[in-house]
Formats: sequence, structure tokens, C-alpha cells
Amino acid sequence: MLGEFEYLLITTAARLGDEAYGAVIREELEATTGRKCSIGALYTTIDRLETKGLLKTWMGEATAQRGGRAKRMVRVTPKGVQAAKDFYDAITNASRGVSWATNRSGVPS
Amino acid sequence: MGHKQIGGAVMIAEPFRTRTEFRLVDFVSHLLEPHEREVVLGDLEEGGESASQSLLAILGLVVRREAALWMNWRPWLAAFGLALPFSFLLMGFSLSVSRAYQQYVGVTILHATGFNVGPGFALLLCNVLLLAGWSWTGGFVVGTISRRTLWVSAALSFAPCLFCLERFRVESLSRLCLLLFLPAALWGARRGWQLACIKRSSAIALAVGVTALTIPLWSSSGLWLPNWALSWPAWYLVATARKA
Repeated sequence: MLGEFEYLLITTAARLGDEAYGAVIREELEATTGRKCSIGALYTTIDRLETKGLLKTWMGEATAQRGGRAKRMVRVTPKGVQAAKDFYDAITNASRGVSWATNRSGVPS
Repeated sequence: MGHKQIGGAVMIAEPFRTRTEFRLVDFVSHLLEPHEREVVLGDLEEGGESASQSLLAILGLVVRREAALWMNWRPWLAAFGLALPFSFLLMGFSLSVSRAYQQYVGVTILHATGFNVGPGFALLLCNVLLLAGWSWTGGFVVGTISRRTLWVSAALSFAPCLFCLERFRVESLSRLCLLLFLPAALWGARRGWQLACIKRSSAIALAVGVTALTIPLWSSSGLWLPNWALSWPAWYLVATARKA
């Protein structure tokens, strides 16, 4: 099963679609989770997920905004989609009946 | 130029490429693989990170990459199973060869009636070849199994050398006698790093040669375990050799 950060990364990459690459994924992850995401954590996780066949990466175009340097584009594979779905189902099932899932305000009923 | 909102205020971070710290960031980034360096520097540029943030980000990635290499058994074997103990053993054997040279060749040439190739000289020749064989095969295996952590193995190999050189107190011998094994070991490490494996016929010839050369040592030091421990890299080369 995926780890928490792996799931977040796959979900972010899937949401970004064709525009998914390192810097944007990192920015999006920080915005959605409110937590700092280091470049080290990002790229070692991308490598690990690619080794598992859950992501595919390739070198993209260079832009002036990046000082003429190439991007590392990311795409979620069908296997990655399935792994993320399994993780989501497991979390959803495990969360049934707990106060923070039923009462989204966080206050126990 | 990067913009970051912190506590309601917009901070404008100066791009690191315009700062004097750029040289340091650029220098440290060379610790990354070329393609990764390109991507990471581009991301930092796009994110408008400051020089110190960039430096920390790059160092963080380098540390993670290095740590990931040590999740495998190979670097551990190369560093602590080969480089470190072999340095001590081969320095000891280098010293033994130097003493043998003094006894059998030096004495014969300087004090006797001429150059006399006797059994002592044959044993010395065996020892010299064995030293070269052990050193080369040991170095080759280190170079093969720990390419990306070779610097750690090299450091663990040189540290005992410095330790022993500092404490060497034999007046009749030069300190450099301890390092007789080093040229063959370095050559072997370089070849191992380049080739990864050798032809099976060459590997078998090397292993048989090294093992055969170990036999004459039985008369002087018996079936001393370290002598055989030094021979296993030669047989490892046979096990991993490729067909011609």
C-alpha cells in the first residue's frame, strides 16, 4: 500500500495532468497540505514511485522562467491510479464512524 | 523574481543567480547527477528560492540520495568487509615482502659472491605476485560492487594507511614499504569501476593463480585464515565473470 506522501504526490500529479512537473507539484502540495515539501523528499519519492511503475517521468522543455533549464515531467500510470484508488478506499473504509469523518466540523457529537 | 506571502506580507526573494552565493550553490549542485542538477536548479530558479534555501534543498537531496545507496548491502561489504580490513592485511603483507626482499635479495647482491637465484628468491617472487594478485582483485571487487560509494571505500582504505604510516618505526625500512600494495589495488579499483566484470577465462586463471601462490605460504605461516580471506575476491570474480 502507498504511504501518505506517496498518495499525496500521485493525487497532485493526477490533478495537474499534462502540466505536472517537479516545481509545480511541490508548490501544489505545499498549498493543499499547508506543509513544507523539500526537494529531496519530492524527487526521492518520485524516483521510488517510478521504480514501482506508479509514475512515469521524462525530461520536458526548458523555459526562460527556469533559467533555460529543463523540467522533469510526471505522469501517473494506470498502475499508479489503481494504487491511489486502493489507498483512498482503505482510508475511507477505515474512517467510517469516527467523529472527524462523520462530523466534519471536528466537534464530537 | 520569486514572490512569497508570509504572514500577510509579500516578501520578494532575489533570485539566487544574481547573488554572490550562486557560486557556492552551483558548486554544491555538482554533487547531483547532471540531469537531476539541471532539473533541481531549474525548480529552485522557478520557485525564486534564496541562496541559503537553495543550498539546503540541494544538500538535503544529496544526503537523501547518498543515504539511499546505503540501503543496499554492497556498499557495506565494499567499505567494511573489503576496503578497511584488506588495507590492514595488505599493509602487513607488504611489510613482510619488504623484509623478505631485504633478507634474500639485498643480502645476496650486496654481501654474497654474486646473484644467486635460490629457493628464497622463488618464495619472494611468489609473495610479490601474490601481493599484486590480492591487491588487484580486492581493488577490483571494491570498484565493482560500490561504484557510487567508492569514495567512502577509498577513505576507509586510506585511513589505516595514514594510521600505520604515522606509527611506523622500522629504521631499516622505508615507510613507503607499507604501501607496496597500493598501486595494484588502485589499478584494480579503477578497472572494476570501469568494467564491472571480467572474462570468465581470465577470472579463473587469476583465481587459480592467486590460490596456487598462497600454497607456498603454508610453510612459513601455515593455514593462516587471513591469507585465505584475502583470496575470496579472486573467486568472487569467477562467480560474477561473464562468458567470453
